[in-house]
Amino acid sequence: MNALDRLRDPSDRTLAVLMLAPAFLLLALIVVYPIGRLLWNSFFDLRLSGGGEARFIGFENYLLVLTDKDFWNATRNTVLITLITVPGALVVGLALALLANLPFRRQWPVRLALLLPWALPLAFAGLIFAWFFHSEYGVVNDLARRLGGSAPRMWLLEPAFAFAAICLTIIWKTSSFMALILLAGLQMIPKSLYEAAEVDGASRWQQFWQITIPMLMPSIIVALIFRTITALQTFDIPYTMTKGGPGNATETLAMLIHKTTIDYLDVGYGSTLAVFMFLLSLVVTGFYLRRIGRNA
Amino acid sequence: MRQPDNLFSARALRLIAAAIVVVNGFFPAVWILLTSLKTEAELVRKPITWLPHELVLNNYVQAFTDQPLLKYLGNSLVVALVSTAVSLVVAALAAYAIARLNLRHRQLVLTCIVASSMFPLVTLLVPIFETMRHLSLLNTYTALVLPYTVLSLPVCTLVLVSFFQSIPKDLENAAMIDGCTRLGALWRVVVPLAAPGVFTAGILAFVNAWDEFLLALSLNASASMRTLPVGISLYQGEFTFPWPVISAALVVAIVPIAVLIALFQERVVGGLTQGGLKG
Repeated sequence: MNALDRLRDPSDRTLAVLMLAPAFLLLALIVVYPIGRLLWNSFFDLRLSGGGEARFIGFENYLLVLTDKDFWNATRNTVLITLITVPGALVVGLALALLANLPFRRQWPVRLALLLPWALPLAFAGLIFAWFFHSEYGVVNDLARRLGGSAPRMWLLEPAFAFAAICLTIIWKTSSFMALILLAGLQMIPKSLYEAAEVDGASRWQQFWQITIPMLMPSIIVALIFRTITALQTFDIPYTMTKGGPGNATETLAMLIHKTTIDYLDVGYGSTLAVFMFLLSLVVTGFYLRRIGRNA
Repeated sequence: MRQPDNLFSARALRLIAAAIVVVNGFFPAVWILLTSLKTEAELVRKPITWLPHELVLNNYVQAFTDQPLLKYLGNSLVVALVSTAVSLVVAALAAYAIARLNLRHRQLVLTCIVASSMFPLVTLLVPIFETMRHLSLLNTYTALVLPYTVLSLPVCTLVLVSFFQSIPKDLENAAMIDGCTRLGALWRVVVPLAAPGVFTAGILAFVNAWDEFLLALSLNASASMRTLPVGISLYQGEFTFPWPVISAALVVAIVPIAVLIALFQERVVGGLTQGGLKG
């Protein structure tokens, strides 16, 4: 075989390497190298604004992070948002999936109603819901007034209420993704299981807990993993709704990293914050992966 | 097993269920549409009105003149389309190698690609920002196309691997016996047959890129390079919030993606459940 032939019809092994090369080059540039760079940077005093040279400072950034009130506040907010919105989106998403799984004559309006929130950019959801929660002209206070006549809330100006508004927005935005995944899982459960249960005299409630939930478990776990990973990265919704305020009551870790690095150009310290966030998500995914390992 | 008198209530129940799902999904978009048609005066009326008393289109004119909305729209389109195209090519090559070629550790290779989506993009923001700054790529399309391609790589690869695996190997072998090279067979036989899969993966990649906010905000901050989510979030002044104009801009930005998913619902749902990714 001459060289030209080989070029035109390469062996499987060569072809495989060539075909995988672009993907791995991109991963190297955008994921692997940045992770290495991140660790490297975290040991330096590296500020792009001052124009000074990078100075090696060992673990100083790490010690600084541990005593940084803003870091602990942002971590607390991030963990709270995750703990509230992941189960919240699961419950709402499951309810939506069960409703959407009823036998409708026309499927598309229901399916589109699940797809639209999924496809809507998070930043837009933040903007729209900021308008919903507007203290004077928002529809939320209007509804509350019509239903119960309660005094209007300054939703985005009181820390606890701003936090609640953000969690509600995230749950609305992410529950439709949950519902889509769970709906696919629901449709794979054989009808015969329910028929058999009916013959045995099982109630709807028993069928739900004995058949639906166990059969849905694989879908639930997949949805939970991806939702948790994205919840830890929460940025868009609080950024567009409150900019982290009032004060820093709704500032997340992602927002703190963004502020430190992009606004203040403090790359060294920002990197160290990112390393901590990295560890946090590692702990969480590790927890999930262990659970999956045990279930499998 | 149902009693005849249950028929009505079962139907009513279904309608209520549909209404709940539809209102939940559509209400925010509808509310923004209504807001975009109200005058500023009506917007600050109390108690608030639900339906606009008189329809105005002025907010749409302002949305395009107050800020370069058309420019944002163009930027979003270019970045989303280019990164979708690049993701598809890169993912298709990788997926074909994983699905079809005599590759050792194929599972490991696939896991490596998928695991890259486990890394929080935020933690990579700092070094990506630094890299793009070094390469003088800040405020260019490339600065977003590269990371967005990687963002969509896992889901595209997963969807395409399962599509390639569903195409009978014999078809390819037949083409090769007829004188096609391996790559020729890939291009003439496999790619056309995998077109639905390529399309599904493409929509998912497009939505990923269309929606991304943090990188776009950090890497392409200059006015002429902003994407839609970044541009629209910047309509607010320090103390002002021109809601009718923002609403009009949002409607302009939501319509393309809404039309896209309305047209290709089944493909999108299929791709999501195959790839099972992204919230």
